[in-house]
Amino acid sequence: MRYGLIIAMIVLITYLLFMLLALMNGLSNENTAALKSWNAQTVWLNKNANDRLSQSIISQQQIGRYNPQHVAVIGDLPGQLARCHGAKHKANVQLVGLKSGDFIAKKKIQVISGHRIQHPGQIILDESLQNQGYHLGSKVTFNGSGHYQVVGFARNAKLNIAPIAYCSLGQWQQIQGNHATASGIVSDQTSTHHYVGLQRYTIDNFINKLPGYTAQNATFEMMIAFLLVISLVVIAVFLYILTMQKTKQYALLRAQGISAEQLMGAIIAQSLILIITGLVFAIVLTLLTVRLLPSGMPILLESREMAWMTLAILGIGLLGASLPAIMIMRIDPLDALK
Amino acid sequence: MSVQLELQHVSKVFGSGVGIVHALTDANFKAVSGELSLVLGPSGSGKSTFLTIAAGLQVPSSGRVLVEGEDISKLSNRQRDRLRLTKIGFVLQNYEMLPYLTVRDQFKLVDRANDQTLSETELKHLLDELGIGHLLDQYPGELSGGQKQRVAIARALYQQPAILLADEPTAALDSNRVQIVGQLLARLAHEKQQAVVVVTHDERLKDFADHLYQIVDGRLSQES
Repeated sequence: MRYGLIIAMIVLITYLLFMLLALMNGLSNENTAALKSWNAQTVWLNKNANDRLSQSIISQQQIGRYNPQHVAVIGDLPGQLARCHGAKHKANVQLVGLKSGDFIAKKKIQVISGHRIQHPGQIILDESLQNQGYHLGSKVTFNGSGHYQVVGFARNAKLNIAPIAYCSLGQWQQIQGNHATASGIVSDQTSTHHYVGLQRYTIDNFINKLPGYTAQNATFEMMIAFLLVISLVVIAVFLYILTMQKTKQYALLRAQGISAEQLMGAIIAQSLILIITGLVFAIVLTLLTVRLLPSGMPILLESREMAWMTLAILGIGLLGASLPAIMIMRIDPLDALK
Repeated sequence: MSVQLELQHVSKVFGSGVGIVHALTDANFKAVSGELSLVLGPSGSGKSTFLTIAAGLQVPSSGRVLVEGEDISKLSNRQRDRLRLTKIGFVLQNYEMLPYLTVRDQFKLVDRANDQTLSETELKHLLDELGIGHLLDQYPGELSGGQKQRVAIARALYQQPAILLADEPTAALDSNRVQIVGQLLARLAHEKQQAVVVVTHDERLKDFADHLYQIVDGRLSQES
């Protein structure tokens, strides 16, 4: 019963930790999925754009000549997508314009149904929009104007917590209107190239400056850190109480000649068994929850991070077990005779 | 017959100044294999101090404690743990057992600590000798006081120790049970050639002793 309670408590805490981690990853991914799918390493924006891709405007002169195998010119414009027929399927999207010859349009868009953009007026949408009533062949408007046809759906097409609608750069320029050539330049290589009037960002730097990204991650990290500390305290207190209740029995074992080190090993093994059992239940519960949640939820389980979190919880469990282990070292076998 | 346990001029002092307590003063004692030695004394006479020093649970302030001729005061804590595990069996007053282990597992635990395995047959034989062979799968909570006592004795004998120390083994027992326990301890000493030392205030055990000691105010003396 007592051990059942400890395991239940470990299950609940670690389940919460895993779900928070999945939510943090999911939200983070919604910010950066597209950048990762492009394998972007360096980004250039107008130096007056306040670090925002959507606020950056760059001219043809600033871009100059470039190698489209590794450099792409992109346009970005947030707005609202709606089906021509049936206004209820409106979606906030990032309209991203790409040049057909650049590496992103040619190689990096992960089309899962339909085809790449071949003509002006065609767009590719993020796969999540399939659940909002958009289909191959759907006619859509952007910010209430134009007629565009959905010719494909792509995986990992999310930027700034919004699905992407990919179109040609020419189309984007037409919609943008104010003689802008593009919003920024992206390279899949670490580059120190200098463009006149543009500011260069490493990809980490660029991601950290995405609106709300750092604050959001910091909030989650703080919650996870606090939960880890709470789990440490709770595990330590539970094991301490259990050990206290058995002081007399441990003293008896010590009197019989069982060494303090052997008893300490037993306490640590006992803690590990409790924590591993709790972890297994929590992992199964997390996987089940993620499977049952609606696909639109920003939840992303990454096995590597799950493994790190599992190790962290194990480490914390061992740390928690160290308090009763120290108690064991101090148990006087004479207590057995009292 | 050889001397298994010997105390030479052992004294134990607690505290200092006006609060000083002489728990044991210049005690000399020998426990020989094949014999039962009874240490009789009232409460507070120093019996427990004598027993714990003899078992290596605490070290004397002066004097020497020899187990099979080796001075245990010079051993490290770990070595003394090992000595208790392999050479000294304990029967405690309250027959303390681990409540969540069956009788069988109480013995297996000792096996694990000692990196050895006594065969199931040997264990059964030992328990049968004490009339408790049928209790292997019972938990301590399911045993009567007498059964617990015999399990505790069996556990003390399990490692086949050269020395068996019993602390008030007949406390709160009726006369019938005292007779049974006395006979059992004497039989163990005589048949298994163990040096059995019983520390008690129960004079009813006198009849079973090969050697009788009195302890009063920390002073141990042998009765003829």
